[in-house]
Amino acid sequence: MLEFYEPQADYGTPASTSAQLVTLSIDGVKVTVPEGTSVMRAAAESGVKIPRLCATDQLKSFGSCRVCLVQIEGRRGFPASCTTTVEAGMEVKTQSDDIAKLRRNVMELYISDHPLDCLTCPTNGDCELQDTAGELGLRSVRYGFDGDNHLAAEKDESNPYFTFDASKCIVCSRCVRACEEVQGTFALTIDGRGFESKVSAGQAEAFMDSECVSCGACVNACPTATLTEKSIIESGKPEHSVITTCAYCGVGCSFKAEMKGNQVVRMTPYKDGKANEGHACVKGRFAFGYATHKDRITAPMIRDSIDDPWREVSWDEAVAYTAQRFKAIQAEYGRTSIGAISSSRCTNEEVYLVQKMVRAGFGNNNVDTCARVCHSPTGFGLKTTLGESAGTQTFASVAEADVVVVMGANPTEAHPVFGSRLKRRLREGAKLIVIDPRKIELVSAPHIRADYHLPVRPGTNVVVLNALANVIVSEGLEARDYIIDRCDVAEFEKWKAFIADPRHSPENTEQFSGVPAADLRAAARLYATGGNGAIFYGLGVTEHSQGSTAVMGIANLAMLTGNIGREGVGVNPMRGQNNVQGSCDMGSFPHELPGYRHISDGATRSLFEGEWGVTLDAEPGLRIPNMFDAAIEGEFKGLYCQGEDIAQSDPNTQHVEAALRALDCLVVQDIFLNETAKFAHVFLPGASFLEKDGTFTNAERRISRVRKAMPPLSGKADWEGTMALANALGCKMDYSHPSEIMDEIARLTPTFKGVSYDKLDQQGSIQWPCNDNTPLGTPIMHIDQFVRGKGFFAMTEYVPTEERANRKFPLLLTTGRILSQYNVGAQTRRTENSSWHAEDLLEIHPHDAEERGINHGDWVGINSRVGDTVLRANVTERVKPGVVYTTFHHPVSGANVITTDNSDWATNCPEYKVTAVQISKVTAPSNWQARQKSFDQQQQKLLQEARH
Amino acid sequence: MSDSKLQRLVKMTNQIALNMAANGSDEIVADQVAQHLEKFWSPPMKTLIIKQSSMADIGLTPIAKLAIEDLSKMQEKKGG
Repeated sequence: MLEFYEPQADYGTPASTSAQLVTLSIDGVKVTVPEGTSVMRAAAESGVKIPRLCATDQLKSFGSCRVCLVQIEGRRGFPASCTTTVEAGMEVKTQSDDIAKLRRNVMELYISDHPLDCLTCPTNGDCELQDTAGELGLRSVRYGFDGDNHLAAEKDESNPYFTFDASKCIVCSRCVRACEEVQGTFALTIDGRGFESKVSAGQAEAFMDSECVSCGACVNACPTATLTEKSIIESGKPEHSVITTCAYCGVGCSFKAEMKGNQVVRMTPYKDGKANEGHACVKGRFAFGYATHKDRITAPMIRDSIDDPWREVSWDEAVAYTAQRFKAIQAEYGRTSIGAISSSRCTNEEVYLVQKMVRAGFGNNNVDTCARVCHSPTGFGLKTTLGESAGTQTFASVAEADVVVVMGANPTEAHPVFGSRLKRRLREGAKLIVIDPRKIELVSAPHIRADYHLPVRPGTNVVVLNALANVIVSEGLEARDYIIDRCDVAEFEKWKAFIADPRHSPENTEQFSGVPAADLRAAARLYATGGNGAIFYGLGVTEHSQGSTAVMGIANLAMLTGNIGREGVGVNPMRGQNNVQGSCDMGSFPHELPGYRHISDGATRSLFEGEWGVTLDAEPGLRIPNMFDAAIEGEFKGLYCQGEDIAQSDPNTQHVEAALRALDCLVVQDIFLNETAKFAHVFLPGASFLEKDGTFTNAERRISRVRKAMPPLSGKADWEGTMALANALGCKMDYSHPSEIMDEIARLTPTFKGVSYDKLDQQGSIQWPCNDNTPLGTPIMHIDQFVRGKGFFAMTEYVPTEERANRKFPLLLTTGRILSQYNVGAQTRRTENSSWHAEDLLEIHPHDAEERGINHGDWVGINSRVGDTVLRANVTERVKPGVVYTTFHHPVSGANVITTDNSDWATNCPEYKVTAVQISKVTAPSNWQARQKSFDQQQQKLLQEARH
Repeated sequence: MSDSKLQRLVKMTNQIALNMAANGSDEIVADQVAQHLEKFWSPPMKTLIIKQSSMADIGLTPIAKLAIEDLSKMQEKKGG
C-alpha cells in the first residue's frame, strides 16, 4: 500500500461515540454527526476545514489559539469551533469577512514572534503553522520583530531523536497535552505566565534529563518545527509512505514508514491502526536505524568449523552446502537428528514455512519456537480452561474495565503503548491491583496509584492466585449464575472444595507469598465485586516452574467472577515479542500443526499430507531444551535457527553453549552476527521487517500486514531463504508472494479460513477466529460460550519450586525488561536507545546492599547454582528485601549464565523469574564474561576475514 | 545415553505428577501424567524412560512410576 506522502487526516477533535445523531447546518449544508461532536469535527467530516493551531483529533479540545472561530446563528460573538459542540438545528458559518479578519489578526500576532526562515526550516512544506498562515492569507506583520520576542530562545538537542527549538514554539500546549492525555507521563508543562509562558520538560530541564520517555507523542502533536525528528532535519521531508506493523513488542502498533526512495526517514504511528490508534513508544517510533546499521550482514557465509574464518558465498552455494550437510547428518544419525527453531520476530508466513520445511522436508516434528521460553504456559493453560490458546479481548476493551489486575507484567516498560491506554483508563477512575515482586511504575505514577500492590515473593504466584480464589469462594462472591450457565459445574464443585480449604486462605498463605493477608483479601473483594474485572499478565506469570498452573489460576479467577465474554473484562496475556501469538498459531510447537491441532490427530494430519504431498510423522518432536540435551548426548546434530538468539536468550547459557558447540551443522538466519551465530557453520542473511511482506499477529489475536518498504539488503526476504533451503532438501515450495502462503494457511486452518491479504487490505486488520461464522473476525472471544464448550476449573495445587534460597544463595533473582531496550537487544543496542540503557544493572534493596557493603554503582558478583556474572549495582527500593532484579538486553551481562534450566512442569518454559543467588562486591568480570569477550573477539576477527 | 539425560526425564515426570496430584486418585493422576507424556514427549524420550524404569529404580515417585507403566501400555497398544 504505497502512498505519496501526505500528513494523516486530522479532524481537529476526537470522534464522539454517541449513538444519538444530531443534524445541523454548516455553511448552508446539512450535516449529521453523533451527539457530542465538536463543530470543528462536524465541519471536517463534511469536507470543510476550519483553520486551527491548538486542536488535533488525538487530543481533547482546548480552545486556546482562537484561530478556529466561527459564527453561529443566534449566538453572540465568535465561538471557538473546537470547544463548541453541535446542537440540532444549529446554523454555522465558517467563512465571512469578519471571521477572516479576526483569524488573520490572531495569526499575525503568532507570526510576529516566529522566525521567518521557512525556506530553511526542516518542516518546510509539512508545517501546520505555515499552512494556516497561507490559508488565512497573511501577507505581512505590522508589529515588526524588534520588540520582546523568543526568537533567540535556546534549542534543546539533548534527545537523540528529536530537537526542541523553543524559538519556533507558539505555546499551543499540544505537546503538553499529548504527554498527559496520550502518553500519560506528564513530563511536560507550561512554565510561566503570559508572555513568559514556555514549554518546559520536567523542572525546566533538558528533555533527556526529564521524565520524558521519548514516545514521540509531543513531536507528532507539534504544529510547528519546534519538536522535529532529527532524521527529518538531516534528510528532509518524506516523499512516499508505506503502512506496516512494528516489529518490537506484542502490542503490534501500526506505522507509516515514511520514505525517501529506499530510506526510512520517519516512522509515524498510524491513527487507523486499531492496536495503537496513533500512539507509539521510543522503540517503534524512533529505533529503526538498526535496519541499515553497519553490522548488518547481507551476504550468505559458510565455514566448516567455528574456528575457521567465514567465507562469503552466493545464496545458491550456501543453500546447497546446508542441504548437503543436513542430508549427510540424517544419513549418518537418522531422520530425527536435525530440527529447527523459529522466531516470533518473523512473520506468520515465515514461521509457517519453517514448520512446514521441518515436517515435510526434514521428515520429523523437531520444530520449536521462542514462545517455548515465554508464553508456552499461556497456550497450555488457556487451552485447558477456556479452549483456545489466546487472549480474550481487544486492547481497546480496557476502556470499559472497572478493576484492572496487572500480574507479572510491566506494561509501561514492556508494552508501553498499551501501558498508556491503561493509564488513561486508570486516570478515569478504574481501580488497580498490581501483583508483582517489584514496585513497577503503575504502583505509583503521576495521577495513578495502585489500590493494592501485592508484592509476591518470586515463585509463589500460584499461592496468591489460590488465596484470591479462596476469598471469593469462602465469602460467597462468585458469579454463581454465570458458572452454572457457562462452566462445567461438576468440575467446578470439585475445584471449589479444593480451593475452599483453609490452607489456601490469605492468612495461611502469607507465610509463603509474603503478601499481607488483609491486602490480599481486600484485593480479592475488589476484583470480585468492583464491576468489569480485566486481568493482564506477562512473563512474570509464565516463566515459572508453575507457569501453566498460574495461567490456569488466572482463568479460574476470571470464570469464577464471570469476567470473560464481554467488553472490559477478560484474560489478557501480554505477549513479549511482536509475533508470539502468530508463531504459536502457525504450528511452531513440536506437538501441533497450525491452529493448535495435535500432530497425532489423523484427520488433521491427512489434511496437511494432502496439501503438502508427504506422509507426516505422527509423534511429537523435540522441544528446545530437549534439542539441547540431545545435542550434548550426540543424538541431535543439525539445527536451523531463524531469527532467534538462543545463546543469549535461553537459560543456563553454559549448557546452551555446550549444545551449540556439539552440533555438526548450525545454520543461523539473522540480520546480525548474533551470539548464536558465533557458533554457526552457515549464516543466511536475514531481512528486517522493513524489507519484506507478511503478517504479524499481536496479543489481541490481531493479524496485521507487514509491508515491504525497502528491498531486502541480502536479495532475499526470510521466507525466500527458507523456501530455497526447502527446495534444496527436496521439499517443493514455489510461492511467488507471502499472500500465497497465507492462502495456504487459510485453506488448512479453520480459525484462519476467512483471512486473506485482500481482506486485510480492506479491513486494516483482522482478529482471528475469522471464518464463515465470523467473516470480519472476533474482537472478543467466548461471548456466548467458551471455545471448549463449558469452562473448565483446573486444579491449581501449589508446588514450591526446587529453586530455593538458602544460606549459600540467600537472595532471589528475577529478570525483566526496560522500556528502551528490546529482548536480547540485537536491534535496540544498535540504535540511540542505548543512551537510556547502556548496560544491564542489578537492582538490590538498600538493606541487602548495606549488609554486603555495596554502594550504588559498585561492581557486584552474582553467583547462582549454575554460574556467575558481574554487573553494576543499582541500589533501589523498587525491589523488596530478599529480591534482586536485572534485565538481559546486553550479551556481556550474562544474565542467563545465572538462570537455571528449571522449567514449567507442563511446557518446559524456563523458570527465568526465580534464581537463588548470592551477591558480593567484586573488582573484575566473571570467568564466563572473560571467556565471552575473548570468544567474541575471535568471532569478530573471523567475520572480518570474510569481509576482506 | 548419559545419566543426566535420564535424570532430567525423571525430574520432569515427577514434577508433572506432583502438579497433577490434586486431580484425583492415584490411578487418575497416573493416567493423566501418561497422557501428558504421550502428547508432548518425543518417542526417544518415552522409550528411554520406559526402558530404564522397567529395569531399575530410577527415582520416580510412586505415581510417576505408575504413569510410566501406563505410558508403556499405551506404546504397546500403539505398536500392536
